[in-house]
Amino acid sequence: MKDFLLTLAACLLVFLVINVGYYGEWFSAKPRQYWFDFLKEKDDPADEVAIKKARYGITYTISMKVKEVVEKRKMAHAVILFEPNSYYRDSLHIYNAVRAPEPAVFYYYTGLEGVWTNSPDVNNANFIVRYSKAKGVTLDEIRSPQQLQQILASFKKYPPIL
Amino acid sequence: MPVLTYLFLLLCYLLSGYGLLNLFGMRLKAAYTITLSLILGVAVASFIPFLLQLFYIVITGPTVFGALLLTALLLTIPSFLQLRKEGGAAFIRRFRPGLLRVRPYELPYWLIIGFLIFVSAWRCYYQPPISRDALSGPETIAEYAVREQTMINSFFRIDLWSTNNQFKSPFLISLQIIYKLAGFPFGQVWLSIVFICFVVFLYNALTEKLHPIIAGLLLLLFLMTPEMYAYTFMILYDYSNMVFYFLGLYFLFRALDPPGSAVTAVRSPATRLLPASLSFAGLLLGIATYIRSETLFLVVLLLPLILLAQIRGNRELRDSAIWKKMGLTHLFFLLPSLIGYYLPTQLYIKYYLPVHYDIGTLVNNHLSDWHPLWQRYSDIVTRLLFGTFATNLWGYLFYLASALFLAELVFVRRFNRQARNWLYAILLLYLALGILGFALPLFNLLETTKRALFKMMPLVLFYLANNELLLRLSRRISQWEALPSRGGSSPQQPADAAVGNPPTRKSVSRKKSRKK
Repeated sequence: MKDFLLTLAACLLVFLVINVGYYGEWFSAKPRQYWFDFLKEKDDPADEVAIKKARYGITYTISMKVKEVVEKRKMAHAVILFEPNSYYRDSLHIYNAVRAPEPAVFYYYTGLEGVWTNSPDVNNANFIVRYSKAKGVTLDEIRSPQQLQQILASFKKYPPIL
Repeated sequence: MPVLTYLFLLLCYLLSGYGLLNLFGMRLKAAYTITLSLILGVAVASFIPFLLQLFYIVITGPTVFGALLLTALLLTIPSFLQLRKEGGAAFIRRFRPGLLRVRPYELPYWLIIGFLIFVSAWRCYYQPPISRDALSGPETIAEYAVREQTMINSFFRIDLWSTNNQFKSPFLISLQIIYKLAGFPFGQVWLSIVFICFVVFLYNALTEKLHPIIAGLLLLLFLMTPEMYAYTFMILYDYSNMVFYFLGLYFLFRALDPPGSAVTAVRSPATRLLPASLSFAGLLLGIATYIRSETLFLVVLLLPLILLAQIRGNRELRDSAIWKKMGLTHLFFLLPSLIGYYLPTQLYIKYYLPVHYDIGTLVNNHLSDWHPLWQRYSDIVTRLLFGTFATNLWGYLFYLASALFLAELVFVRRFNRQARNWLYAILLLYLALGILGFALPLFNLLETTKRALFKMMPLVLFYLANNELLLRLSRRISQWEALPSRGGSSPQQPADAAVGNPPTRKSVSRKKSRKK
């Protein structure tokens, strides 16, 4: 009988904790949701790349697209310049939707070298990833050092941010 | 195939961890022995690819797994010799008292805790590492180390202007390398081993003090700290650092306690128990320092506590031999942390990495202006410990602990020695985090300090486990539970309660059988 009463008390305490205040909100938004994710994922035949796409989102997709184009065009030693995230934030207002990866993370995704506008190696950049509302994401070649300097000058007021 | 390698790794961890426990003369109950062996085994493994790199040995499956096996076997030799001396029966008997015994009221907690563990372990296995600090450093280094067979790989040739994560401890890189080589493309699953073992260890340690119904509740509140739970499936340094820092303090406080502590299955005289436990605590803190170098500062701040305990225990302080012995004790306690600091931050960064990192330039230049220090102390309390944001990070654990602390202060008006130890540890951590934030501008409030506060959570939990009001409540429940269901005879005061200790479940069941 006492064991039963104590078990009842334990059940009540557990019920209270997972439902009260912020715990309740958190429990249904996180662990419970993770459980539903598990039910979907356990039978999902997604491969490593598909899982990464789902987890890393648009940045990963853009990075892989860049890799695909570079491989297709057989570009030797491509160094990819990314537009500053502050440009996406302050000028295009798409910062929450689109983000340029930082070079270290871009290397993790693709194995390609990337640079930001303030990188010490920026002068080696020979391609630029551009985003525009009309064209979406494009990979353009930088044909001369002068063109690169023009590009860098146009982003001068947008310091790179994460 | 990954399942087999996973089991092989578990076996290596168990052997090397058990070997280490034996080396330090730690004879513990089965639940502690198994969980600590696995946790220590993970720590040992985290040194292997790093050490291979230090000796310029190529990092491949055979070298890494061979070195892991060799280390496990070497560390097992003393245990094996002891086993031959004692005989197999004595060895098996050592694990007997801790056999699993479930009470029905523990089940609701086990179910919900099991659920939390399961979803965390699944995410650990299924999802790739996500935190920026991992991707822009250790995870990428590990990925390319597997491809290029060296930790000093092509990652260091790219533009690393935006990150300093390549300079962080090789702890994460090493473990990621091992699991990627084992066939887990995202690595990470080692974190679930640490998490599960830590939870089991905590539950057992809490039930030593409290009735399982309170212990289970506290553990559930601890697990449901939203921010920390996320790091049980997202690899980074702070969760593992918290585990080893807490374990170090746990054994330090055991070492400083009088003999016959509940955690030790074999009761040794204090004179023999203390140095071994203290050195073991030093080892655990050394591992914590290896994971996060600034832990060294916290370890140094623990020295006065040890000195105080030694002075209290020695009346013949004029004897120079006593001081020499005390000095040696301090040295043995501190040595693992010094090594844990030196290897990754001094030796590896300075003499192995191809990129330069001047730690000296990271120190605040305006150390005479103390205003930011007070501001940091204030921010930690108002923004990270209390308030809406803090609730989103830690749930209500700090509020509960504060309420019970005040209640103990007002109604009991004294703290028992163990509660004082944990309160000291909490205060020390708070003061140290303020100083670190003040001295190192990169140690920012909302990321570094926030994650460093993980270390405070188990300290708070163990203060609560020693809170006199919870101890009394525990005793009441145990006494009520021990009463026969029918008949009105008043219960005898348990002997444990009379000396101020909560009755363990064993003592209560002894009482039950006596009554029968």
